[in-house]
Formats: sequence, structure tokens, C-alpha cells
Amino acid sequence: MDYSKKIQEIASKLFADNKINYFVGYKQNSFDDSQVPFLITDPAEIPKLVFTDRSVFNLANYLKPDHTKRKRVGLVVKGCDSRALNLMLTESQVKRENIYIIGICCEGVLNEKGEKAQNCVECVMPDPVVYDEMIGSPTGKREYTINADIRELATKALEERADYFESIFENCIRCNACRHSCPLCYCAKCCIDQETSTLYHGANTSSGAMHALMTWSLHLAGRCVDCRNCEKACPSHLPLHLLHKQNESVIYENFQQHLAGMEKDDRGAFYKYSLSDPDDFIL
Amino acid sequence: MEQLLVPVMCKVDKIIDETPDIRTYRLKMNDPAKMESFGWMPGQFVEFSLLGHGECTFCISSSSTRQGYFDCSIKRAGIVTADIHSQLEEGMDVGIRGPYGNWFPVDDIKGKNLLFVGGGIGLAPLRSLIQYCIDNRSDYKDFTILYGARTSSDMCYKEEIEEWKKNPSLKVILTIDKPEETWKENVGVVPKILEEVVKPGTENTKVITCGPPIMIKYTLVSLDKLGFAPKDVITTLEMKMQCGLGKCGRCNIGSTYVCKDGPVFTYEQLKSLPDEF
Amino acid sequence: MNVFLVETDKTGLQKFYEEIIGKFETYAPVEKFGKYDYKRISKLDECDPDSPIETTMSIKPLFFPKTAKVMKFKEDNTGTTISETDEDSLTGKRIILGVKHCDARGLQVLDQVYNWDYIDTDYQKRRGNTVIISTRCDKAGTQCFCTSLDYDVEKSDAHDIRIVNGLDGKIYIQAVTQKGEGFVKENISQQSAVGSQQSLEEIKKHYKSFEASFRLKMDYKEVNEKLQKLFDSPEFETVSSNCIGCNTCAFICPTCHCFKITDEKIKDTGVRYKSYDSCNNGYFTLMAGGHNPRPVKYRRWRQRALHKFVYYKERFGMNLCVGCGHCAISCPVNISIFDVVNQVAKV
Repeated sequence: MDYSKKIQEIASKLFADNKINYFVGYKQNSFDDSQVPFLITDPAEIPKLVFTDRSVFNLANYLKPDHTKRKRVGLVVKGCDSRALNLMLTESQVKRENIYIIGICCEGVLNEKGEKAQNCVECVMPDPVVYDEMIGSPTGKREYTINADIRELATKALEERADYFESIFENCIRCNACRHSCPLCYCAKCCIDQETSTLYHGANTSSGAMHALMTWSLHLAGRCVDCRNCEKACPSHLPLHLLHKQNESVIYENFQQHLAGMEKDDRGAFYKYSLSDPDDFIL
Repeated sequence: MEQLLVPVMCKVDKIIDETPDIRTYRLKMNDPAKMESFGWMPGQFVEFSLLGHGECTFCISSSSTRQGYFDCSIKRAGIVTADIHSQLEEGMDVGIRGPYGNWFPVDDIKGKNLLFVGGGIGLAPLRSLIQYCIDNRSDYKDFTILYGARTSSDMCYKEEIEEWKKNPSLKVILTIDKPEETWKENVGVVPKILEEVVKPGTENTKVITCGPPIMIKYTLVSLDKLGFAPKDVITTLEMKMQCGLGKCGRCNIGSTYVCKDGPVFTYEQLKSLPDEF
Repeated sequence: MNVFLVETDKTGLQKFYEEIIGKFETYAPVEKFGKYDYKRISKLDECDPDSPIETTMSIKPLFFPKTAKVMKFKEDNTGTTISETDEDSLTGKRIILGVKHCDARGLQVLDQVYNWDYIDTDYQKRRGNTVIISTRCDKAGTQCFCTSLDYDVEKSDAHDIRIVNGLDGKIYIQAVTQKGEGFVKENISQQSAVGSQQSLEEIKKHYKSFEASFRLKMDYKEVNEKLQKLFDSPEFETVSSNCIGCNTCAFICPTCHCFKITDEKIKDTGVRYKSYDSCNNGYFTLMAGGHNPRPVKYRRWRQRALHKFVYYKERFGMNLCVGCGHCAISCPVNISIFDVVNQVAKV
């Protein structure tokens, strides 16, 4: 999967036609084969754009107001990224007319060890769900399987599970990289950052981390698209996907097999209410 | 460090409503011995905490020449100040750390004419200095106080200003931004009144100014026009602070720690700092 | 500097470590989720003193904890009372194993800010009670640039004892400070030869390739001088364009020392905490009323870069970056402070 040339061509055309004033793609790191997001305003930088199976980061994150406010943006999205973008569109975070989407039919990206990333192995939608231009040939929706880690976790006793999660929270340094790398965490001021609230507090304790991470994962329940930006961003390498995948599996089983961001204008499981919704999993 | 961050408990002795959104809290330390030894200079600030709600930085708005208490004038602006206004009552406890920072150069300005230019809540730090200078009146020459607010009801320390006006050795000029029916003093923004009404001479004069950023910006332009040298213009800077000890890094402007090297700066010093305040 | 050098080998070193761990409160890099963090250990096999620099967190939290309790408070109808926290008194002796040279240098840098004017006594106590045993790096990591800065890694005296590899599997335990020398003399029981000038030569030979293994090199003096005049450089906007605005770089940096003070109150009782904060945080300088001197990303990056390479040097005479490269490795988008300052200073 090397679409670098193709993306460079499209980007050149977009700049030439004055359709965009910002392009968000990937750039090769100089020190190893990893890639980082690359934001360009100058067409002269286009030759540096790349796209391979190392293009990991979810670029929809850069549509948040911090980065490209009131700009016309062209960006590259993979299947999972496009689902996040779909949700951002539905939740009125970006204007469709302001963005030009290059959708990639993704064959899966590699993790740090050079193996296919776990979320790509379990991917339900490798094709872009929203795009202006598509690269590659679509392979269609795949079947949802419950994540292996979640299945394993389910076999553990409650105390064991609690201990495991506690050890995760203990290693959290509260840098908020998870939140800042998540395209769907776009609140102007996060409730967790309130300096003087009695509910949340900024102190860097493990109970504070638990509070912050649990709140965060619940705000993303039914919205998380499993791009694992958060997990890749975490400097302590915490397995954050456990929180999201757990929520996802519960929602999938109980809310008509709902998966986030798959369809246009789908506001997510928690926004639709029906009297027949199951509630037996609620404590 | 942790001990340095522990406040001393004070009781709110009196709350004075200055304007719809500014209140002055008169504080006394619970331990009278501590109150007696609590010395400060005009322009210094304290860290004021409503425990459980947070800590904020306020300048002390009274002078240490008036002993037994100190005042903090607080404008409702953010979360903690809103909590202070809504929850802090007379007789309740607050935590105080300080005094921190440098102070107005009370010795350097001895024997000089003083021109105070204040706007809105900016009169608070000036009030401390004005009180100090009134109490040491013989050390200083002519006094002029120019004070402006958006409306007449937004003026702080109304009673004290009346007293100042009665004092023959002080010249007090007041102004509001827009005309009001019952208002008999000047109308117009501070820099305009400064240029058109006060018309101060620069000779042997020091200007001490404090107010909202926009007022400061244009007042400095006016003072420049009137011929004041940047070293004769003294102001106090507002910056987000938290520790007050030159550690937490919030108030950094270049290599300057506003909480330690400031908050009082001359315009000359400000010019040498990176434009980041 | 007088040299106190003990020659030993791998087993000898392990014995030395084991003795220390048995006697003192010892901290060393412990692996979890693929990252090494300095934790209290009771057995040598729990830790890896030779942990790779790329995946090892800083020792900063052992001196400047990510959260410290400042005090407790309790409200009742007579008013509010403040009490001390039940934190430990910081009097116990601590040993840290496997510290990297750059990381230890970070403490020397922090000393400056904590010891000027108001003195941070808790930090002082932690510093005084700790013996730092450092392991000499054989080669540079991908993001390392410690040799390009304003200190000499070879002659660093930021740690008390240095473990150095020699030729043919020899290992030297070298005391760097008085404290370190006393500690080695007290705690090394095995019969071992004291190294000579010749050993020093051998060490030098072993590290011949060290300098050459650095990918990143720069002229510190030039960069520092140029940056002093580049406050208005438009490059800051370019270099920070893909920064996502998290606080990772600051929290894992061995020298970043900004903190915040927060209260946690439940009903009538509460605790005041002091915990890490970062200038990359958008609210860092936001004042009540809405004024923010650094409202956008590039201004925050400018503060970060210039604080590290200009302001701190100007104020305290040391560079606030020690070249460990932790920020670049941990950054979700691999922004390196090295690249930032060099790109800005390029003009």
C-alpha cells in the first residue's frame, strides 16, 4: 500500500484549483520508518507527502479548532479515520464544504514492531465511509468480532480485573495525550480540566487518573471508532483500548449491533432512545 | 516547597460592596501576633484562597501604615472569584499566603510630584500606594489622582475618593466613559482626559498607572506624547500566577518572573521584555 | 578530581547492587507495558539498571513528584483549620540505580530554580538523602543529543557513582562525588582491585565510538545566540503545526518544573495538591476574565523552546534541556525540541 504519488497529485491539483488552503497528510520521519502528521500550506512541500502502511495517525484530529480553524482543508483518511470524521460532521464540528476528503481503502497499518496493528486485524470498515475522492478498491464491511483482550478480561474475576485497571491508572501521568489525540474529544474546555470543581480535580493521583480516564471513555462510548490514536499517543504505553472496546462490545450487543460513525447522520447509540432498549446490563 | 504553599488563616472582618462586581474584603489574621508582624509594601500581592475552591492572586489594596487589617478588592471575573463573591461572608475563614513580589519604589519617588492614573479595578494597587503616601505626606510633593471608570457606578472606593477630594493637598480628577445625567465631573476615556484636562508637566514627576490592558496601552501612548520618559512611568503587571514564589513558571515573560521581579515595573523595563503580556 | 575506581565484572556489579538493595530503600527502572519507570524494588531481578534510554522515564518524579499533598483542611462552624499531611518526612536514605547521565544532569538544572530565593525544602531533602548511581551509556539513542549542549557528559558530576564498561567485560564502579566515594567504600565488601590511570585509558578506548554514535549534533553556542534574537520568528508556527497540544513532553521531561495547585474537597474536608502542569496547556496562562498572553499553539511552543534554550540560561546559567530526547520519543507526533530550535535558528 503506497499511495504517496497519488496523494501528491491530488494535493497539487487542490492547491492549483484554490480549493484548499491547508493540506493534512503524512511525512516520513528522518530517523526511522515511522511517519508523522504533516500540515502544509505551501504547495512546495507537497513532494514530502507520503502514504504507506506506516501512516498510522488519525488526521481527522487536525480538524479541531486548535489546528485549522476556519480553513479549507484537504485531508487523507483511512477507513477508521473516515468514521471519526463522519461523526465530527454529524456533530457539527466541521463544515462539509470546508473539507476535501481523500478516502483510502485501507489494507491495514503496521504497529511499532512491524506487524499488522491489532485494530486493523479486527477492522470492521477498511473503506472510507465519507470521501470526495477514493483511492484503492473497496473491500466492503467486515464482520464484527469481540476483541481478544476483552474476551480474556471477561474470564478474570472481578477483583483481578480491578487490580489490573488500577495498575493502568497508576502509570498514567495525566498528560492528556489520549484526549488531545482523539478527534472526537473536541470540547473547548474539558470537564476534567475544571480547576475548582469538587467532582473533578487536576491532582495527578491515580484516583484522579481513574476518574479522568473513565469519564473520558464514557464520553466516547458509542462514538469511539477504534482508530487507537489515544493508545499510540500514550507515553506510558497504557492499553487504553480496553476501556473503549469494552464499551463498544456492550453497545454492539445491546443496541442493534451499533458501530460508531458508519452511517451519515448517525448520532450514536446513546442519542437514540427506544422503549425496547435493553437495560439489564446497567447496574 | 509544600510548607511554603500552606496559607495562614484569616477572618473576613468586613465586606464592602464597591461596585456591582467589585467587593473589598477586609481581612485580619486569626493569630494577632502574625497580624502584627505581617508587613507589606504598596504594590505587593497575596495568594488568597477560598479553601476547596482555589487560590487566586490579588494585590493588597490598603497600606501597611494603617495597621491591624489589610484589604483585598476582588472583581468577579472567573470561577474562584465568582465563588468568593457568592460564598464568602463576614466572619468566614480564608487562607492567605504572602506578601509576594516587589513594590512601588516608595523611596525613589520621594521628593517628586506624583501622578496616579487608574482605571476600574486598577485603582486597587494604587490605593495602597496613595494611602501610604498620604500617611507620609511630607516626603512627597504634589499629588494628582486621575481615576476613570466605565460608569459612575463602576467606581471603586467612592467614600474614600470623597475624602481625598476634601483633602486640600490632593488633586483628584474623575472621569467616566459616557455621559450620565447626574455626573458633574469629566466625561471621556482616561488617556483623553489625561491629555486634555490634566495636562501634567513632566518636571520632577513620576507617573504610577494601573488599569485594564487597553487603558494602559493608550495611556502609555499619551504619556509618551506628553513627554514623560519611560523610566518615570511605573505600572503593575497582571499575569496569571499560582505559587508566587518564582517556581511554578506561569508568570514567565522571557527570563523575568513577574511574581518575583514584578509585578511593579517601569515602562522602560516593560519595553525590554518580549511582547507576551 | 581524584579518581576512586573499583574494578570488577558483571557478577561483582550484581553483587554490589544486591547488597545495596538489601540494605537501602532502592529505586530502579521497572518495566511495565514496555516502558521503564523508576520504582521501589526489593530484588535485583525486578528491575533492569541497563534499561534502554528510549523507553525509560525520567527520575524527576522521585524528586519532584507528579502529585504532592500540600496540606489538609477541615471546615466546621468555628472556621477552617489546616493540618499537615501524613506524607513521609523524607529523611530516609534512598538509592537510585541505572540513572542516565542526562537525567542526573536534569537534577542539577532543577537545583537552580528550586534553590533561588524561596527554597524548596522538600526537594532539598530528597536531593540530600539520595545517592544516584548512574550507568554510562555505550552509545546514543535515536533522539539523544546530550553531547551538543552546555555540559560535558564525560565529566558530569551530577551523579554520585558511575558504572562504566571497560574492555573485555570489565566493569568499573567509579565514585564521582565525595558522597559517592563514601558510599562505595562503605558498601563494597567483595575483594576488588582498585583501578588505576591505566583503567581510565581503557575506558576511554571503550568509548571511542560513543561520540560518533550521535545522529543529532548542533552548535549550542550558535543556536543559543541566534535564538535570543528570534522571538518573532515565523518558524515557530511551522514547527508547531502538527503539535496536538497535550502535555506529554513537559511531564516526561527531566527538567520541566511547572506545577499547579488544586484543591479537592469532599463535604467539609479537603486536600490541597501540587501537581505537574505544562506551558503547552492552553489554560496555563489563561486569566480570569479571558485574557491569555499565549492563546495559540505556536506562542506556547515559542515559550517552551525559548525557556529551555534562552531564558533559563540567561537567568540561571544552565540550559533547561539536557538532550535526553525523551520528548521526541514520547511525543505522539515526534516533535523534537532539537528539531524545533535548529529549524528556528536556521535562518
